[in-house]
Amino acid sequence: MTTTNKRAQVRIRDLSRSFWEGERQHDVLRNLSVEFAQGETVALRGRSGSGKSTLLNLISGIDVPDAGEVEVSGKSITGMSERERTLFRREHIGFVYQAFNLVSTLSVSDNIRLVLELNGIGREQADQRILKLLDAVGLRDRAESYPDILSGGEQQRVAIARALAHEPVLLLADEPTGNLDDRTAEGVLQLLDELVRQAGGTMIIATHSAGVAEYSDRVLELQNGALVS
Amino acid sequence: MPAIYRASFGFLRRHPWQLGLAILGICIGVAVMVAVDLANQSSRKAFLMSMDTLNGQATHQIVAGPGGVDETIYTTLRVEHGIRRIAPIVSGYAHAGEVALQLLGVDVFAEADFRQYTAPANFETDLAASPDTGPGQPEDMVRRFLTVNGSVLMSAATAAELALSPGDSFEILVNGKQRQAVLTGILRGNDGREVGGLVVTDIANAQYWLEMQGRLSRIDVRVAANDEQRLSEIRGSLPPGTELLSASGRTETTAEMSDAFMTNLTAMSFLALLVGIFLIYNSVAFAVLQRRELIGVLRALGVTRGQTFRIILSEAAVVGTLGAALGLLAGVWLGEKLLVLVARALSDHYFAVNVTDVAISSASVVKGFVAGLGATLVAATVPAIEASSFQPRLALTRSTLEQRAGRAVPRLGYSGIGLIFLSALMLALSGRSLVIGLIALFVLILGFAFCIPFIVRGISNALAPFAGRIGGTAGRLAIGGVGKTLSRTGIAIVALAIAVSATIGVSVMVGSFRASVSDWLGSTLQSDVYVGVPRGSLDPALIPDLTSLPGIAEYSTSRRAWLETDNGRTRILAIRMAPGSYAGTNIRDADPEHVWRQFNQDSAVLVSDSYAYRHETQAGEFVTLNTPQGRVELRVAAVYQSYDSNDGAIMMSRNTYNRYFDDSAIDSIGLYLNDGFDVDLVMNSLREVSEGRQSLIMNSNDNIRDISMAIFDRTFVITNVLYWLAVGVAIIGIFGAMLALQLERAREFGVLRALGMTPGQTGVLVSLQTAFIGFLAGLTAIPLGLVMAWVLVEVINRRAFGWQIDIAISAQPLLAAMALAIGAALLAGIYPSWHAGHARPALAMREE
Repeated sequence: MTTTNKRAQVRIRDLSRSFWEGERQHDVLRNLSVEFAQGETVALRGRSGSGKSTLLNLISGIDVPDAGEVEVSGKSITGMSERERTLFRREHIGFVYQAFNLVSTLSVSDNIRLVLELNGIGREQADQRILKLLDAVGLRDRAESYPDILSGGEQQRVAIARALAHEPVLLLADEPTGNLDDRTAEGVLQLLDELVRQAGGTMIIATHSAGVAEYSDRVLELQNGALVS
Repeated sequence: MPAIYRASFGFLRRHPWQLGLAILGICIGVAVMVAVDLANQSSRKAFLMSMDTLNGQATHQIVAGPGGVDETIYTTLRVEHGIRRIAPIVSGYAHAGEVALQLLGVDVFAEADFRQYTAPANFETDLAASPDTGPGQPEDMVRRFLTVNGSVLMSAATAAELALSPGDSFEILVNGKQRQAVLTGILRGNDGREVGGLVVTDIANAQYWLEMQGRLSRIDVRVAANDEQRLSEIRGSLPPGTELLSASGRTETTAEMSDAFMTNLTAMSFLALLVGIFLIYNSVAFAVLQRRELIGVLRALGVTRGQTFRIILSEAAVVGTLGAALGLLAGVWLGEKLLVLVARALSDHYFAVNVTDVAISSASVVKGFVAGLGATLVAATVPAIEASSFQPRLALTRSTLEQRAGRAVPRLGYSGIGLIFLSALMLALSGRSLVIGLIALFVLILGFAFCIPFIVRGISNALAPFAGRIGGTAGRLAIGGVGKTLSRTGIAIVALAIAVSATIGVSVMVGSFRASVSDWLGSTLQSDVYVGVPRGSLDPALIPDLTSLPGIAEYSTSRRAWLETDNGRTRILAIRMAPGSYAGTNIRDADPEHVWRQFNQDSAVLVSDSYAYRHETQAGEFVTLNTPQGRVELRVAAVYQSYDSNDGAIMMSRNTYNRYFDDSAIDSIGLYLNDGFDVDLVMNSLREVSEGRQSLIMNSNDNIRDISMAIFDRTFVITNVLYWLAVGVAIIGIFGAMLALQLERAREFGVLRALGMTPGQTGVLVSLQTAFIGFLAGLTAIPLGLVMAWVLVEVINRRAFGWQIDIAISAQPLLAAMALAIGAALLAGIYPSWHAGHARPALAMREE
């Protein structure tokens, strides 16, 4: 088990998850145990198919394990119903994806507002927070633009703003620089690091990029569904 | 609007074609349903109102058989029994120029308790200044009405239509004879009801014009509710064959004759809505599939399943509301067009109905709106459940969806087979219920629909290798792709197949029916020339002169009359057969020679197919008739084939009729010519003989057959209109489906273009696929269409009208259906083909 001395924000015990491909069972995660401390940034490295995304999905409650337990801020995600997991994720977890996953039919500001509305934040307060976040990601002048006219780097900055809008305790980033060139990727990582640390949140970044390590407190390596470092 | 709804509705805004087509599909479905409902209701309402106008406040009516009511009964009731609230009526039909009128002969002194508009106080005239007619006081008007020869009253609208003013004389044709009438006043319906198309005259004049001296059509009676004593007193004083019946009951019975016709039209209108439901499902399912990633993102961001479900349903509600609202407007417009067809069909077959304006009832509007919105919500429920079940892992790939759809196909097929069995069970156990028969038909359609994806996948997989051999990878992509993208193509094929199968079902049914009627006319119409009077009977003095003309070998006579029987109003046919006539009547399951002997010698009767079916009567049983001789029981010698009227008829020999009924009228005669005599020359002689005596309708054998077939074809015009509308909905649906399908495959086409496929090749690929979709729809529609035809002929028509039709299947409707399916699909595929061919590869790949 990989542990930390700080207070654990995320605690994972004996987590297993497998998928079926026809008749063949494919074990993605095998009895995995790990803890992530509050305020810690951890890079989760590994090759494609090593189980990084599956682990993030299990932590966020998007997916459910075959066995084991996930605890976030002292609450067991695995013991929750689907609806409880959704509401927990809505309130406490932020997501940044490789493919940005912005809502193409909403403007930049509305993409951020969406999360604030889901969390019941009033319009005035939401407006203030959107402006603050857009300032922080340097996109205030693109507030009313639609995602499809933004560059990849800009889209990812919107995604970061959206992920942090409701001030989550945990930010999960799945290959956040996978679709970006090196220079833009660097900028995005700096931004993520700055904003998450500023807010005192915990961040887990799944990546196979070596460059992420310098922004992380720890680097964990996943191989064939198990942690090797 | 909250951002999650904006996110979702934004998709619809960005796909206006898809949105527009979905709205149009619902719009047409609702429009057809509302239009049929409005046309049916308006016709029925117009009929009931005109009957209400004619019956006035009468609670009961005294009626007798074909000869009418003896007028001494009225005198007896009024004088001997002191019953004051009764009014004698003589009614018939007349023509003034081309305008058909209903003739009502009344005793104005007895009218006050019945019809306000015939009460003298309501007569209007502008003859007051005329020195000939005196001042316009009510008593003077009554005097004029009673004393001026041929005096009539009519509504201002009717007078305007005939360009008449009070005081004008005009010619009126009654019972084929020209009469001189004088318009002495205008009728004023003081309760706002239409009294148009009606001409009122004094009862004595009506008796003279209609040649009903000493007879009445009926006596209107008004008694207080529950005054059983008075009713018993009246009944007790009536001679045999004369009856006291409820006035509203008689009207209802007449109106009910058209129920089956209207139910069938309503069912046809539901077909368009059913096709619409599939298309709405298709549209919503597409919209969900296209947004699977968006929904995945929303779910990952914390949108719950319930919220996802509500988003999809609210979209459907908006689309449904818009579609239904537009459908209501279009329905009123279409209703006015259909009303003409419905009113004409009703007038041809059931009762005269004179209506031009659609009466928009709130019930029809609410029904249409609820059906449109409800159908949309029902259709959207499955995709909404599907959307809410998406896992928020963003990994719901195209292949996962297809795998899921693929797994559902056999399950759907089994459910379809189950539904087909259920339908068969419903048909077998529902006895004679038309409504359950129609429901079973819809269950059958649904069952077949569920089996179609299974069949499509099988055919597509089987043909793909051949397509690959002929057309290479592109061919395999086009043909095999259909079966591999069932989640997108399946519903479109089902919708088109249902619409096309309806055209097969209805075409085969109408074709079989037409062939049966044509054969029947061929054997029934044995005479060379038919002579009759429009809505009247032949002058008895004229008949010997007509039948003794040179060249006429034999003649038959016919009298059609209505009789109140224990089975309701029944049509009686009294026939004097010429020797050649017998062979024209097709006797079912009996020895004709034996049957005709009983018919002529033993007062036995024949009953038509419809009568036998409706009243469960068969040869050897007895029918009871109320005659002036009292109640008589006549043995049924056999059942005979007839498509004459769907309420059925009892046929008896003229001798039998004369024996029991006091009625010598003859409606028409059939003349058999000697060999070598020219039909036209004989008809000229007939015209010369009848000139100035009675205006006759004469038709040669061929001519009357043409007229009959024209009436038949006219009846089914409305059916054709309805099923073409259903096809229209299907074409719109397939267009929407193809468009959405090709848009969704934009990336795939982008890749093909990037790999070197030319725009033309890409367009051909899409066209090939749409043609194959049309072919599959046509192919699967054929078995469904044929089974549908069988159900329509053997179950629906039988239960609705009692007709026995021999199914006649020819290749023509099947080939036409296949051409329609492929043509519709190709037509729908033109724009998507162009779109796919002209997509810029880089852009298309980026859009995904």
